[in-house]
Amino acid sequence: MSEPLRITFDVACSVEHAFAVWTSGIDAWWPRDHTVTAEPGLVVVLQSGVGGRIYERTADGAEHEWGEVTAWDPPRLLGYQWHLGQDPADATEVEVRFVPLGEAATRIDVEHRGWDTLGSRAEVLRNRNRLGWDAFLAHYIPAAAEGVA
Amino acid sequence: MVQIPAAGDPFEALGDPNRREILRLLSSGDKPVQAIAAALPISRPAVSRHLRLLKGAGLVAERAQGTRRIYHLQAEGVHAVQAYLEGIWGDAASRFRLVAENTDPTPGR
Repeated sequence: MSEPLRITFDVACSVEHAFAVWTSGIDAWWPRDHTVTAEPGLVVVLQSGVGGRIYERTADGAEHEWGEVTAWDPPRLLGYQWHLGQDPADATEVEVRFVPLGEAATRIDVEHRGWDTLGSRAEVLRNRNRLGWDAFLAHYIPAAAEGVA
Repeated sequence: MVQIPAAGDPFEALGDPNRREILRLLSSGDKPVQAIAAALPISRPAVSRHLRLLKGAGLVAERAQGTRRIYHLQAEGVHAVQAYLEGIWGDAASRFRLVAENTDPTPGR
């Protein structure tokens, strides 16, 4: 489970616009079935700059932390820690690179890594076999399970 | 009451606290049904149903040792969950593209 998950795709827009949509425009496209509450009317926010919070706010005003921006170099690079409502100490890392291919063409490279550090608590480190499982059980199942409920 | 998810769906199979507990138990080592049942507050038949379901989803597998059945975690289950995550990113990517390409203010588009 230590291999980073990589997604690459091209989008027909400028690199500046792609960066803006990914960050300030994240609410418009992030899949609602992969949120903490999956409630109707929730808003997803990604604050600009290193240290910016990433969170969802439900209609009743409750906020659920997703992570924190760790790299901010518009319009080329965005990095964030990602824990989606779980213990921030176990965050994984997402790195998004925006590569201009033309005036209205951008390649997006997403790397989701840090599976090894997911269960970085000492007890978990003792057993490699546990690592991947604890990671998934602790980090993805609760949030996603609510999404399909 | 054991909910029966669609066959072979590891993600659905993980949506139950008892089944997640079974996986946690097995993550510290292979175990016979008896040991799993002893550690859970549910009946032995319920444990068997959960194990059957986890097996169907590819998350655990069993082997016979004498008259006992020993259960262990199945690597393919992790791969299935990873595939689920890839699906999430794939979904995110296609939604991102749709929004980005329909809101680009760049002149000439």
